[in-house]
Amino acid sequence: MTSSSDRPIEDPFASQPPAAPGRRVLLVEDDARIAQDVTEELSLRGFTVVHAATGSAGLELALSGCFDVLVLDRLLPELDGLAVLERLRAASVNTPVLVLSALSAVDDRVGGLKAGGDDYLTKPFAMEELAARLDALLRRPADNPSTRETVLRAGPIEMDLIERSVRRAHRTVDLLPREFRLLEYMVRRPNQVLTRDMLLEDVWHYRFIPQTNLVDVHIGKLRRKIDPPDEIPLIQSIRGAGFMLRVEVD
Amino acid sequence: MRRYLPEMFSTAAFRLALGSSVILAGVTVLQFSLIYWRTTAYEVERADRLLDREAALMAAQTPADLREQMRLWQTNDLRLLITAAGLFDADRKAIAGNLTTWPETLPVDGGIREITVHPSDQGERLIRAEALPVPGGRILVIGRGLRDLQQIRSIVLQALETCLIPALAFSLLAGIWLSRRGLVRVGRMQLAIDRIMEGGLHERLPVRTGPGRDEMERLAVSVNRMLDRLERLLDEIKGVGDDIAHDLRTPLARVRAGLDRTRLRPQQPRELEAGIDRAIIDLDQCFAIITALLRIGEIDNGRRRGGFVPLDLHQIAIDIVELYEPLAEAAGNRLVLEPGDSVPLVGDRDLLIELAANLVDNAIKFTPSGGTVSVSTHSGRDGPVLRVADTGVGIAEKEQQAVLARFYRSDKSRHIPGSGLGLSLVAAIVRLHSARILVSDATRGGDCAGAVFEVIFPRLAADVPI
Repeated sequence: MTSSSDRPIEDPFASQPPAAPGRRVLLVEDDARIAQDVTEELSLRGFTVVHAATGSAGLELALSGCFDVLVLDRLLPELDGLAVLERLRAASVNTPVLVLSALSAVDDRVGGLKAGGDDYLTKPFAMEELAARLDALLRRPADNPSTRETVLRAGPIEMDLIERSVRRAHRTVDLLPREFRLLEYMVRRPNQVLTRDMLLEDVWHYRFIPQTNLVDVHIGKLRRKIDPPDEIPLIQSIRGAGFMLRVEVD
Repeated sequence: MRRYLPEMFSTAAFRLALGSSVILAGVTVLQFSLIYWRTTAYEVERADRLLDREAALMAAQTPADLREQMRLWQTNDLRLLITAAGLFDADRKAIAGNLTTWPETLPVDGGIREITVHPSDQGERLIRAEALPVPGGRILVIGRGLRDLQQIRSIVLQALETCLIPALAFSLLAGIWLSRRGLVRVGRMQLAIDRIMEGGLHERLPVRTGPGRDEMERLAVSVNRMLDRLERLLDEIKGVGDDIAHDLRTPLARVRAGLDRTRLRPQQPRELEAGIDRAIIDLDQCFAIITALLRIGEIDNGRRRGGFVPLDLHQIAIDIVELYEPLAEAAGNRLVLEPGDSVPLVGDRDLLIELAANLVDNAIKFTPSGGTVSVSTHSGRDGPVLRVADTGVGIAEKEQQAVLARFYRSDKSRHIPGSGLGLSLVAAIVRLHSARILVSDATRGGDCAGAVFEVIFPRLAADVPI
């Protein structure tokens, strides 16, 4: 789907089924094949996707502010991804943006984040990775005082960030600092798929592909402490994607 | 020889020889001409002086004495100096002397001219002569033949011949020899190059051993060095191609076999699910291999140092040990960080983390349960050093460099999972940082058995000023 100047762009969802609130994605990608795959896959996962094939069409749509998240390819005809991003931010559109790029890691990442991108993914990527990251961007804890609370709760887990203590249903759990950091990250994102790459990036701030199941080992250790055999497991493995802290929502 | 004949004339050596021969001939001819010219001038001047003196003496004599002297002249020594003489009366009739006919072209003015005469006893002769009136109304003609000059000329020409011909012949032969020698060598090199182009990459250009190589051989040595490097690179690429094919074929074959099996028994949903899961795991491994390959290519081709910042190598070691401790623990090993001070270094943080992670990962993987992996850093004499030592199977000496090549896995470890590219990534990152990596066997160091990887970074000051 592309836009042309003679068509109103105020409501790109007019011809579509009602959009799931808060899950509207604008995909700006010139490769038709990738665009189709991503659109289909994300639709299956409950996103509503609008596709623009060029940078200027994408910018026009994005400026309407009707989207909850943007997926922006870097190399685009007419206007390249970073230029779109810069103009968007200059126009005070603060929709979260995930920048896609061909392999050329460090420079691109720095460039993408500097231009105002919120996350970054290199091609080729697994669809689960993209979906999980979009989910994370959509549910990103807003930067308001409530996220600066000193006690985090998720289901039976209670974390005191000042005392650095953890309890699961009144039972105290002793955690090493790195386990504490990992759990804190998960508690802040309950019921959300967290991929191994996301955990390595966000908890440890590393961006490389480990040769071994490094993250699984860390999760395993944490799991043994949080989930005793006789209780309902909270940390669950999501096949093909990563992990999730599954708790009952109040 | 005939084979080279047409080419010979176009060789640089032959053209040079030909050119220098022409110049040599020209200079020689010029030299001899100068000698001849100077000698002739001298001889003519001497003859003229002689004629003037004799003419003056004879003109001063009485007619009778002169006639007597002319008669005597035919027999005395004066004949050697004055080769032609004649006394003529006013009617130009010969009275005495060996000149019997009046030289028509000679004016009677005491001036010296070069004329041709026909003396009675000889054929045509070229002489320098003068005619002057003497007492008694008669005319005296005396002349000196230029035979000496002719002799000098023939001597000079002879000398020129004896000089020039051997010199020319020599330089031409030298040119032929040189060009032929060059052609033979070029021919040999061309043959070698043809064989190389046909795929014989192990072929080298012919080079003499030992000192005293000429420019052509030095060039050949350079070309050979280039060929060495190219051959190594091609071997590497070929090896990589084989390895990629092999390492991708194994999991892909498993995927295919698994899917086949699953399709034959579609009744059990649980089995179906398990089959798909196995296929996904195997495909993920293919994916990991491809991703790692692309990354190595990216690091190698990038050669960019834009992300270089001052950082502390020891802190990286601390972080990595913290990150990998649970993994070592799960494998039943100890991962220890040896205490140390901060080690300043300029580099790409993300890539150095990846480097350290891969070394530690590798060490844990190849250390049997109950072993120890130790990480240490220090500012060495040559620069900052990162050292990862394990108590694992160790690396045979002949494999110590090969482990850094893409996909290489030592024979003892084919069963251990992984893309097989961890150390290749390390090598690429090391290259980007202009560092060196040393692989050795700890057994020689006296410790327990195991491998030691040491990355030695360039010294700070010499590399990038902060």
